[in-house]
Amino acid sequence: MTKIAELKLENKNIAIISISGTWSIYEKHPHAEEFIETILSKPSIQKVDLKFVDLKSWDSALINFLIHILDSCESKNLTINGDNVPSGIRRLIELSRTSPVRNTPPASQKKSTMFESIGCVGLLVFFNLRTFLGFVGKLLIGIVFFIGGKVKIRGREFAVVLQEVGVKALPIVFLISFLVGFIIAFVSVLQLSQFGANIYVANLVGISMMREMGCIMTGIIMSGRTGAAFAATIGTMMVNDEVDALQTAGFSIINFLALPRVIALTLMMPLLCIFSSFIGILGGLCAAISTTNLTIVRYCAQTANVVCLNDFFVGIIKSCFFGFFIAAIGCQKGLQCKRSAEDVGLTTTTAVVTSITAIIVMDAIFAVIFSLLEI
Amino acid sequence: MMPKISVKNLNMAYDNYVIMRNLSFDVQQGEIFLIIGQSGCGKSTLLKYLLGLKRVSHKKIFYDGKDINSIINVHGFYGEKIGVLYQGGALWSSMTLAENVALPLETYTSLNGKEIEEIVALKLSLVGLKGFENFYPSQISGGMQKRAGLARAIALDPEILFFDEPSAGLDSVSAKRLDDLILELRESLGITVVIVTHDLASIFAIGTRAIYLDVESKTITATGTPHELLVSSNDKNVVAFLSRETKIVQS
Repeated sequence: MTKIAELKLENKNIAIISISGTWSIYEKHPHAEEFIETILSKPSIQKVDLKFVDLKSWDSALINFLIHILDSCESKNLTINGDNVPSGIRRLIELSRTSPVRNTPPASQKKSTMFESIGCVGLLVFFNLRTFLGFVGKLLIGIVFFIGGKVKIRGREFAVVLQEVGVKALPIVFLISFLVGFIIAFVSVLQLSQFGANIYVANLVGISMMREMGCIMTGIIMSGRTGAAFAATIGTMMVNDEVDALQTAGFSIINFLALPRVIALTLMMPLLCIFSSFIGILGGLCAAISTTNLTIVRYCAQTANVVCLNDFFVGIIKSCFFGFFIAAIGCQKGLQCKRSAEDVGLTTTTAVVTSITAIIVMDAIFAVIFSLLEI
Repeated sequence: MMPKISVKNLNMAYDNYVIMRNLSFDVQQGEIFLIIGQSGCGKSTLLKYLLGLKRVSHKKIFYDGKDINSIINVHGFYGEKIGVLYQGGALWSSMTLAENVALPLETYTSLNGKEIEEIVALKLSLVGLKGFENFYPSQISGGMQKRAGLARAIALDPEILFFDEPSAGLDSVSAKRLDDLILELRESLGITVVIVTHDLASIFAIGTRAIYLDVESKTITATGTPHELLVSSNDKNVVAFLSRETKIVQS
């Protein structure tokens, strides 16, 4: 195969690079580094001559090759003879070399140590927590003003949010809760039947759905569904300057964007939790009567006997807090979104992960509190 | 006469990186004031400072002689006195065009529903969107969104109108129509207009005064009418910026 670039020494002072043939980024072509290495390895070379012989076609491959050669030779103060360079190539090289260099600060290249990384994460968590608590504080003030009638929220928008977070969530809450109740009952039956204690399936399903699983499962569903939607909606509004437009129009973004969502979810979560608990018990009933000799009446009577009002209210109280925090996290993450589509995705993911983590942590705290209060 | 807006020794920075330093200029009542410069020089960032979206230290930006920090309310800027048209219109997507225009009226005035409806229809007809009252932003084109954004910006007959790249994304006819509308608003209502742009066709057509933000020296390198900048500026960047565009306009 004919070489499309060749280096020759005319005498000990002059190197000639002959360029010919077809240069394409889609085909294999010579790399400038080999030529530069050879030229620089001979200190006697003072001049580099570029010769173009039978050059058929060229593209960025040749431009890139020549820029490398020129840069390296110039940095070593070698004279370059480029009289023979075709005008198109010359213009492109000049254009690329005369382009102004923006004096922007270099990105930090420093590699941090393990302790620095841990410290950075700690600080990040601290600052995020502080920002979030500030946001919650503003929300609480907003709620107080709303109750006092000093802050108004748009009725139609509020109704739409209520519908979105309430009625429209019922099918998914139904499905998940039914299956959770069904699974709990099914696993319980397998164990309890060994002791002839099938009737206690109703206890396990009833208490776990009312106190824990109803509100936790609803919380997780709403984190993935509604919290994510809040973060994505507000994040997109940030990208489209809609939030800036609100601010410059003098509207409080907390009262206008976050408050209706937080109030709606805080109101709807207990209702969804009650719905979830009863559907979970229904799921447990289906599993129990289909795998044991329990009747519907016995199962229901046993559930009514063991599930007390305390269990019911424990679930409701927790779900109120879960609803508040899922909405607050979704809105706050949305408002922290930067100005690109990628950030909207990242914001949504962060909102979901943070909400679910918060639910689990809060549930543990509630467990300790209720245990201390003997509820 | 006291300037409508006054900026004194403003430094703009992103994290620790200085974008512009020592910016000082005045915008007079009734002017069509242009902030021009190459892409990435910080024009839109300056607009954010002027709108109070980025906080500044005291005694840097003044509106009617009052420090911006003293007139900014707890929620944001004093919305009834200014109108802003953002690059993409920034309409509130969950509301119809009529609701977008009506919201500032509902918030800041005591007009009844019928009066608000009439003003909304008037503002939308001013921007050529009569009959689109019940459309949502997603149902109309980008250019129409921009015009609807302008209808919202002028809903309260503001004292100052800010435009961020008003002609971006518009065809030449729509851009010309927007320019005419800006001139009309200035003439009829005496509105002060601040425009961030690099569309020189608009600059020469409507601008009364301009500042040039120079990306290399990171400050204002030229102030004057667009023609003064073109003819008598000693700054090569200003001349290059304006003359290149002028050739296009002339051609």
